[in-house]
Amino acid sequence: MSLIRAYVRLRRSVGWIDPLVFLALGALLYGLVGVGKEWQSVLRPKVEIDLSPWALPKYTFFSLVRGFVAYAISLVFTIVYGYVAAYNKKAEKVMIPLLDILQSIPVLGFLPTLVLALVAVFPRSNIGLELAAVIMIFTGQVWNMTFSFYNSLRSIPTELRETARVYKLGWWRQFTKLELPYAAIGLVWNSMMSMAGGWFFLTISEAFVLGTKEFRLPGIGSYMSVAISQGNVPAMVYAIIAMTTMIIVVDQFFWRPIVAWAQKYKFEDTEASESPKSFVLDLLHQSRFLKLVREDVWQPMYSSLSTRVANGVVAIEKQERTLPPFIGKFFKTLSGWVLMVAIITVILFGAWKLFTLLFVINGSEWLSIFLHLLFTFARVLAAVVLGTLVMIPIGVAIGLNPKLSRVLQPVVQVCASFPAPMLFPLVILVLSRAGIGIELGAVVLMLLGTQWYILFNVIAGAMAIPQDLREVGNVSRLTQWQTWKRLILPGIFPSLVTGWVTATGGAWNASIVAEYVHFGDRVLIATGLGSTITNASDTGNFGVLTASVLVMAGTVVMVNKNFWKKLYHIAETQFSLNK
Amino acid sequence: MNTNNTPIAELNNICKQFRLPTGAEIKVLENISLQIRSGEIVALLGPSGSGKSTLMRILTGLIAPTTGEVLAYGKPLPGFHPRASIVFQNFALYPWLTVYENIAMGLEWLKLPDDEVRKRVRQAVDKVGLEGFEEAYPKELSGGMKQRVGIARAIVVQPELLCMDEPFSALDVLTAENLRAEVLSLWLDHKVEITSVLFVTHDIREAVFLANRIVVLGSNPGSIRIILQNDMPHPREMRSPAFLAMIDRIHDIITNAIIPDEIAAVTPTAVQRHIEPLPYVSPGEILGLLEILDDQNGSIDMFELAQKIGKDFGSTISVAKAAELLDFVDTPKHNVIFTDIGKKFLASDMNERKILFKRQLLSLRLYVVISGMLQKSARLNLDEEIILEQLAIVFPDEDVEKLFDTMVGWARYGELFGYNADDKVLYLDTGQETAG
Repeated sequence: MSLIRAYVRLRRSVGWIDPLVFLALGALLYGLVGVGKEWQSVLRPKVEIDLSPWALPKYTFFSLVRGFVAYAISLVFTIVYGYVAAYNKKAEKVMIPLLDILQSIPVLGFLPTLVLALVAVFPRSNIGLELAAVIMIFTGQVWNMTFSFYNSLRSIPTELRETARVYKLGWWRQFTKLELPYAAIGLVWNSMMSMAGGWFFLTISEAFVLGTKEFRLPGIGSYMSVAISQGNVPAMVYAIIAMTTMIIVVDQFFWRPIVAWAQKYKFEDTEASESPKSFVLDLLHQSRFLKLVREDVWQPMYSSLSTRVANGVVAIEKQERTLPPFIGKFFKTLSGWVLMVAIITVILFGAWKLFTLLFVINGSEWLSIFLHLLFTFARVLAAVVLGTLVMIPIGVAIGLNPKLSRVLQPVVQVCASFPAPMLFPLVILVLSRAGIGIELGAVVLMLLGTQWYILFNVIAGAMAIPQDLREVGNVSRLTQWQTWKRLILPGIFPSLVTGWVTATGGAWNASIVAEYVHFGDRVLIATGLGSTITNASDTGNFGVLTASVLVMAGTVVMVNKNFWKKLYHIAETQFSLNK
Repeated sequence: MNTNNTPIAELNNICKQFRLPTGAEIKVLENISLQIRSGEIVALLGPSGSGKSTLMRILTGLIAPTTGEVLAYGKPLPGFHPRASIVFQNFALYPWLTVYENIAMGLEWLKLPDDEVRKRVRQAVDKVGLEGFEEAYPKELSGGMKQRVGIARAIVVQPELLCMDEPFSALDVLTAENLRAEVLSLWLDHKVEITSVLFVTHDIREAVFLANRIVVLGSNPGSIRIILQNDMPHPREMRSPAFLAMIDRIHDIITNAIIPDEIAAVTPTAVQRHIEPLPYVSPGEILGLLEILDDQNGSIDMFELAQKIGKDFGSTISVAKAAELLDFVDTPKHNVIFTDIGKKFLASDMNERKILFKRQLLSLRLYVVISGMLQKSARLNLDEEIILEQLAIVFPDEDVEKLFDTMVGWARYGELFGYNADDKVLYLDTGQETAG
């Protein structure tokens, strides 16, 4: 109650918020300068980590900056890749399947190449290592954002596209006035999910072994891994608290305001009764300083810049059109050929490299890889089945109760954003007390990271079951079991399938940390493809690493194509509630 | 800007084909030549499927024709028509821009000074009656107000040719009536600097009310049936004899094109010799038509019928055609009248209706053929795929899946044969269901 009153007072006292804004900006600047120094300092592959809790804010901030830099790269990648895939029919045929494959490659598949290449490019400063870590986080963030952007572009209504042509918006204005706004909401939601996905492998991205070399960057992930290797349980708890705080702060001060702001891009005809709100956004609207910046600096700058870009683009477009047709054609075909040749060269080179890597693996090693695949497959299956059995009742209970879902949905979101691998050592501790070994325990660890996807979607599915259908159930006096069989299960089925797809993908990815867990000075290894990958990366066995990553990615793509796509189709055609 | 001799826009021998996802080519426009000159209001009038919206999009340059020539001021069209603008059926406003920003959008590429932009937008807002709504977002407006924004956005660029794609069809009747009159008075009073208007409609009254040239289109593929001059002075009185005569004339043209009187000449109950596609209409709709006929003492004008059932003319004709196929009604000229079978059908109880319906189905070649196929099949059932393939061969121009659904709908009603959606098979209704 007193909180609400304080909030109301805060809202009334205009200008009150300005000092806070200045303070926040100052702190941010100070922090960024620190990050800059760190990045430019002399290459220290393995930094010493201070396990005192007072060092944690600094480490957390370092990790946070990596996450945001990775996110910025993801955003640029998403827009460029999605745009080209949506508008170039030829490129689309290659780019979309490629995205499917990239999505299913576990982060360790990128690690050795990235680290070796980037450290070679920046031999003297920390930038190379930092960039490697950033790009690893990027690989955990980017793919679903790209899919979302691509799908949004594809689904812009024809009439809106036509207005852009009728009123000669040109490329730049069409992009900023139509395409970006139309994609905004999907992009924002997927960005939130992506951030969570990026944190998942934070411990690996910041502290990793490559053959004989150990790398460690200052960050909360490294803090955790040092705490784990020393068996320092209090430090682990500190790290968990710091991580949770960071996730909540980012959620409240970054994502909530953006989600609330993005509501203006909602594409609907009538005004919604209830839309997401953010108290931070409301407060920021009160700031005179920000208003000044927005109205007197940003808007004039943006509009003049935007006009210049738009005119520039129009000029280019016109120029192209005035070129004599045969010259234009020549250039088009020439550049097309050059691009084609370049792409083919890269592909051939990559294939050759891959071949030389895979050539050294003998038959028995291949056999072992496929055998391990079966183990991990079984675990993934077990994790998803278990997750489904546990989460359906919980999700339905929450989803069918509006009050409960309003309170619990944000909580579930925060839980889902928490990188499960940070909890692994604690869970292992509990499991070993209960007499469960790592072979079975790995299933529980996988479950820890992937159950949320199922829960999320079941809640959403249950919330979407129309009230009248539930009333019909009551009127026709269905028993509890009949209600589940006739209404609830079919009703949540489409979203459950979505949850399964994401959960399975997540479980496969998680296997590389769940089957290979550092615990004190020991490493607990469960038989499986995930542990094979991590082990190969740790020992620098690039042949086996490449082969197992390929096998895993291939399996995921195959299962997606042959199983999930078909299930999706059934869900959409027979169980959709939108008809 | 241009003399009266060169048309603002011109089409010469336009054909347009689309490729369906199934790979089949579908022809939507055939051999269309049309000129839009300055100072006229032209209506493109036709039933659904006549490609009228496509035609407007080709004329303005939004879509390229498959073959033929598109000219603006006598020269080949470079991209979009330089002096045209469009009012869209579903408004096509950007929901994240205010009314003001939506209207100003069309002016941006002209790079006018800010003052000039403000002045022009204010004038446009005044003309369409949107004062006070400048800062509102589209979602706060009613349908009628939204379309006013659409119109303001189109006239603010001072086009020579204002195109409108069924501009009033997404509005309720009263709002549409009101807005239609306002648009007309904008033009008549020279409040806007538009020289010509081209609009697409399926509403005959709207065409006769607004246009001084009416291009009547036929369907499958869309082609020009006739171009009518309409020189009645404005404002036109909808109940005047001249107005009604014009409407009747257009009725005759459209109905004769869609329901040739020869169909009625086929002897009833005898099985047709040709396989006819079914109009995409459900048995319920046919029954509804018969109920209305009964209320109207067994005869109704097709146009009146369209108003009664609140559908556009094309769909109304489809329902009438479906009923005629089953021999429940006759359609001399543009009237719909009961046949004896139709009367008997309506007077029957549920069971008798089904029996009668089944008998009528078996007078259609399509059902005779498919029933025959089913009887010859080993387990009295056939895969949907097989039927779809056959239908695709027999009716290359039809939407085969829609046709299949319609066919199954009728057959289920008449209990002629059934369809199992899980296994996707048709089965003969022998009283007991075939084992899946």
